[in-house]
Amino acid sequence: MDVNTESWQHKDLLGIAQLSPWDIARIFETAVSMKEILNRPIKKLPTLRGKSVAMLFYEASTRTRVSFETAVKTLGADVGSFSVSTSSVNKGESLLDTAKTLDAMKFDLIVIRHTSSGASEFLAQNLRAGVINAGDGQHEHPTQALLDAFTLCEKFGVLGTKHLQEPAYPDRLLTGRKIVIVGDILHSRVARSNALCLQRLGAQVTFVGPPTLLPPEMACWNVGISHDLDAGLDGADAVMALRLQLERQKSGLFPSVREYAELYGLTLDRLRRSGREPLLLHPGPMNRGVEVDSELADSLYSVIEEQVTNGLAVRMALIYLMSAPL
Amino acid sequence: MWLIKKAHVVDPAQGIDGICDVLFDEFILAVGQDLNGEDFLDSSHRLSVIEADGKYLFPGLIDVHAHLREPGREDKEDITSGAKAAVRGGFTTVLAMANTQPVIDNRGLVEYVMSRGEQAQGARVLPVAAVTMDLKGDALVNMAELHKAGAVAFSDDGRGVQRAQTMLLALQYAQLTGCPLISHCEDESLAKGGCMRRGFRSARLGLTGIPAAAESVMAARDILLAQENGGKLHLAHLSTAAAVAALRWGKQQGIDVTGEVNPHHLIFSDDDIGLTQTCLKVNPPLPSAEDRGVLLTALVDGTIDMLATDHAPHTWEEKARPFPEAPFGINGFETALAAVWMSLVEPGKLSVSQLVRAWSLNPARRFGLAGGSLHVDKPADIVLFDPKHTETIGQDVWLSKSTNTPYWDKEMHGFPTAVWVGGSLRDAALRDAAVRDAAIQDAAIQDAAIQQTGRERPSC
Repeated sequence: MDVNTESWQHKDLLGIAQLSPWDIARIFETAVSMKEILNRPIKKLPTLRGKSVAMLFYEASTRTRVSFETAVKTLGADVGSFSVSTSSVNKGESLLDTAKTLDAMKFDLIVIRHTSSGASEFLAQNLRAGVINAGDGQHEHPTQALLDAFTLCEKFGVLGTKHLQEPAYPDRLLTGRKIVIVGDILHSRVARSNALCLQRLGAQVTFVGPPTLLPPEMACWNVGISHDLDAGLDGADAVMALRLQLERQKSGLFPSVREYAELYGLTLDRLRRSGREPLLLHPGPMNRGVEVDSELADSLYSVIEEQVTNGLAVRMALIYLMSAPL
Repeated sequence: MWLIKKAHVVDPAQGIDGICDVLFDEFILAVGQDLNGEDFLDSSHRLSVIEADGKYLFPGLIDVHAHLREPGREDKEDITSGAKAAVRGGFTTVLAMANTQPVIDNRGLVEYVMSRGEQAQGARVLPVAAVTMDLKGDALVNMAELHKAGAVAFSDDGRGVQRAQTMLLALQYAQLTGCPLISHCEDESLAKGGCMRRGFRSARLGLTGIPAAAESVMAARDILLAQENGGKLHLAHLSTAAAVAALRWGKQQGIDVTGEVNPHHLIFSDDDIGLTQTCLKVNPPLPSAEDRGVLLTALVDGTIDMLATDHAPHTWEEKARPFPEAPFGINGFETALAAVWMSLVEPGKLSVSQLVRAWSLNPARRFGLAGGSLHVDKPADIVLFDPKHTETIGQDVWLSKSTNTPYWDKEMHGFPTAVWVGGSLRDAALRDAAVRDAAIQDAAIQDAAIQQTGRERPSC
């Protein structure tokens, strides 16, 4: 394995907002090496033996959690897992006290997912251990955005050494690419982190969704805004469907799942009509037949499974960069 | 008896704004040039003369919006700590909101707040009674009885009265008492789940936004209800441009409506909020920068009648949480005046006279209170204010039980250095060395007199 270990500057990864394009390229470069390891018959490294990483999940999650745990184990470090149902977090202990306990157990990194925006930043300010944000409320989900951007770069063939190591290049990795994000933008940390990450790499981002889930203040992201999916898809290189939280219907944010699927559901036909045969991404778990038609999900447009593998590689890269002895 | 010489006296009620002397015991005795205290002396008083060059003297500030948390949440604040913190901040009268646990909705609790306030030896504490029983927005409290017991206003503050019919009846019925009804304008169906003003900043941070309309629609509704049936309406903590426009319209129509604004809504905006700055989480939420400008203009032109702190203490533990989970509220008593001084008066946005009018005279007039001016024979509620006095906000200068202020650890200047309530000098606010020396000397002489005569020193 040949990775550059010098000077990773960030104690924590709280959001894409803190990363420069060069940081992102650095993660990608490391992730390329990690992905090679994942394709070996013996997928285990001794690199981080003796290090330990805590998983602190206040919100149900299977794929993100398993992805992080697998990443940690593959690197040879130990995992401690804490979830709402099994620890004192549901006995009224405050987030701060729980986290301080983990700190006292000398974990090197704490991976946290929490329902409140800002929870990971709050922890990072109070802990010695490094903090990785695995999703905080509606704020950010940086590892998801990194794996999405990594997948796009891989598919667009820009992950070679010449792309990633050329000085002053990373901010143009996705220049000229149009990426559409469709769905419940307002409540989505994935949309926010992706808007930041993709734009940082030079891509043009368009948000698509009904006005109730894509209100005018989302213009703060300096992205294209469209309430018409077909117009938004025109000329897109990739489209990312967000998971629709079906309970949003109860709060009146859209009238029915049927109407939502008709207006904003992605289908094979829609993608074919859009001009450039865009790639389909989905952060999962997917509501088949709502935001993505089943036929499309299983088609060649879909890179959903690659996203999962790349998620592992990207998380390995991050954990490696954040905890490798210098 | 005190004679404060050559202070810059500001008393908009009498049009005074210049250097002169003020003489008072329990009451104001004289305001004028070159006063000679000896002319007023009788055998029962000693005269303390204070040279106050470079200092301001104005009538004690009146805070019509404060949460003293007692009974129920004495871990955040109690009436004693609140009254002392208030007087330290320059307030000689504060109105205590009714959203305690239990709610101030019966005579026993109104009397309790009054008697605890008297014992506190800080600012005068006057109870605001609830509008509806248990703040449920349903059955009205016994307004006449509670007014007779001492309530000076009615408010469900902390919650808006959600049903228009209830508000209409409350405005009508409160006319029996002559007291203003203070409306906390917040439509819960619009505000629910939000933790900061809806806008670019909330969208950026991924924090659920509270639309400005949550306040504006209820402000407009209540003004129309007051127009329908009369009643004295006072709009609490205004934070939106549209609510200000409604207030301006209401006044033009001759509706009996007034409004207040909190210093934090004039100084901060939603752009100042970071994800871990729970000390800026407040309800109503910090306005957009544009609305903040509208609020200041309205205060200066008199559309907004008064300043109020909305002093809302919360424990450290409650604020040491992720932003969406922390409670709303800013601790205001001890920093509000310095904050307004530094952010608005010094840059020339608000004159001292406008400040005193908005924080003393207008509240006294609107709520029918004793203070608000330095008229002869008024109670001597007096603030001696040093614009240069500097303090670093921290535990060693702090009297409130809670520390949830954005100014913690910050250096501020512009503080009261001596405050008298009914002519009684309050230790809690005493920063002025000359006044302290005079008070000590006075006490020593009285002690000597007691020793000579063998009589008990009269308690004051």
